[in-house]
Amino acid sequence: MAETRFMKGNEAIAEAAIRAGCRFYAGYPITPQSELLEYMGAHMEAAGGTFVQGESEVASISMVWGAACAGNRAMTSSSGPGFDLKQEGIAYLASYEAPAVVVSMMRYGIGGGDITAGQDSYLQAAKGGGNGDYRLLVLCPNSVQECVDFTYQAFDLAEKYRNVVLILGDGAVGQMMQNVVLPDYVEPNINRYDWVIKGRAAGEKKNKATNLNWYMGDRPWEAHIREKLHRMQEQEQRWESYLVEDAELVYVAIGVSSRVAKQAVKMGRAKGLKLGLIRPITAWPFPRKAFEAVNPDVKGYMVVEMSIAGQMLEDVYGATQFSKPAYCCCTGIDIPVAEDVLARAEQALRGELEPEVAL
Amino acid sequence: MIQTLRKPDRIVQPCGFCGGCGHGVIQRLIAECLEELGISDRAINCVDIACCFWTLDGMDLDGIAGPHGRLPAVATGIKKTRPDDIVYIHAGDGASYTIGIAETVHICLRDVPVTMIVVNNGVFGMTGGQMSLGTTLLGQATTSTPRGRNESSNGSPGDFLQALSQFDFEFAARGALYSVKEINRTKQLIKKGFQNQMEKKGFSLIEVLSACPTNWHLSPVAANKRVEEVVAAQFPLRVYKDRGGMSDG
Repeated sequence: MAETRFMKGNEAIAEAAIRAGCRFYAGYPITPQSELLEYMGAHMEAAGGTFVQGESEVASISMVWGAACAGNRAMTSSSGPGFDLKQEGIAYLASYEAPAVVVSMMRYGIGGGDITAGQDSYLQAAKGGGNGDYRLLVLCPNSVQECVDFTYQAFDLAEKYRNVVLILGDGAVGQMMQNVVLPDYVEPNINRYDWVIKGRAAGEKKNKATNLNWYMGDRPWEAHIREKLHRMQEQEQRWESYLVEDAELVYVAIGVSSRVAKQAVKMGRAKGLKLGLIRPITAWPFPRKAFEAVNPDVKGYMVVEMSIAGQMLEDVYGATQFSKPAYCCCTGIDIPVAEDVLARAEQALRGELEPEVAL
Repeated sequence: MIQTLRKPDRIVQPCGFCGGCGHGVIQRLIAECLEELGISDRAINCVDIACCFWTLDGMDLDGIAGPHGRLPAVATGIKKTRPDDIVYIHAGDGASYTIGIAETVHICLRDVPVTMIVVNNGVFGMTGGQMSLGTTLLGQATTSTPRGRNESSNGSPGDFLQALSQFDFEFAARGALYSVKEINRTKQLIKKGFQNQMEKKGFSLIEVLSACPTNWHLSPVAANKRVEEVVAAQFPLRVYKDRGGMSDG
């Protein structure tokens, strides 16, 4: 029976995770996602699961590594410098191809940065971040309903590919409140996969949760990882396109910036400007296929992002193979404003902007 | 009574440890305890990524490795998921008392019913014998303190087991391996740690003083003599805490 509730993005992620069968959560408080941890603290036990407030982000992701390898649906969440600290454990999860869900509600800045919304963990999220050649399947919600839907799907996707799925939101999406429809409860089964670690009788094949190449052999393992990543790259590109077929300039944005960019498209269209939007729902794999439907005579793309120098820009150039100019509307610490985003597009279309150099 | 010595069932391949190293003895004691208590079928081996890593394949158990120092956290995730399984940690002093001290402190505070065996050999063995900040003795030469550990540059070692035993958890004790008597006593400590877990009691921490002849540049006999005469004087062998009231005999 579908249930509707008025919720914050951070809380919605936690509730959706519990409904998806997540029975282990460990995390360390950090703004702007602490409500997620608090929600788990309030509700996980009643669902029969375990909530641990970790002594650090490093310990929290290590607990998730243990719980996930033991067969649990496990999750942790953080932001900014806390997400940095998760990288060690995420790489360990990747080394055994253990499925887990990690949430990063991005905040602004470098190093400690600031506690307000930002989008500059994009590269770290989309390109890796820990040791080794792995990728995360990165889902980018831009509404509270998507916080629910993507988190709910994330556990299935993580297990389908035996890969960490990252919910990459931002402080604004985490803090906004909307009505959401909540899905039904899934009851987890910690013994459903043959790769889990548990007590086993003599004579049974034993599992060793560590680098898989030691047991598969280096070359077969490399081929296996390569094949999986390419399969994910082909099958999991997700996006929303808005009015791109005749557009002269197409915004590319995720999270809160995509909401503002969509508004700018509408305002531009009302003035007769042919603007469009590609909203990557997966930051990895980046939805290159979305660019195939764009007007072939499009004059350029514009990344709208709360960053300093444009992090998604290189993915846009990659998707277009540098065939079109790309511009940035980087707002740094500020949430973009539709009027400014529109004005920036008008500048680009008038030829007043140099294409942005991808660093 | 005549007893035939035999390899415990759950040790399935040569361990790979250096001659005279205590890790292999500890691995055997663990396997013997699991077998004697009838809990081998429920056991999960959590190893740190240093020398103890060898036991991952040596033990015929499901196992998990690293990250370095994080095993108390890793084991917490496993035990909370599988409370009826017997979850134990086999880790070194560098992992447990230096890089992973926060994790060790917090498994004590949370009193998670896990059995943790810390092998204290006073050096970073796997990486070539560097100083272990918590346990390398003053004056001891290591590859990162070639003229001996001095207090002004490196601080002093500390008795972490004693310090941790101030917290409210089940069991903390220190054993050694330099004589048959001490090996047997250490086995009883490890067994107690597993029994606590079987009885759904709290966290058990057993530290074992161990020789590292390779990195100490001593023969196995001389290295064991050093444990007995020098190391055990700094790190006393005794039961530090036992909520269940184990005597120190």
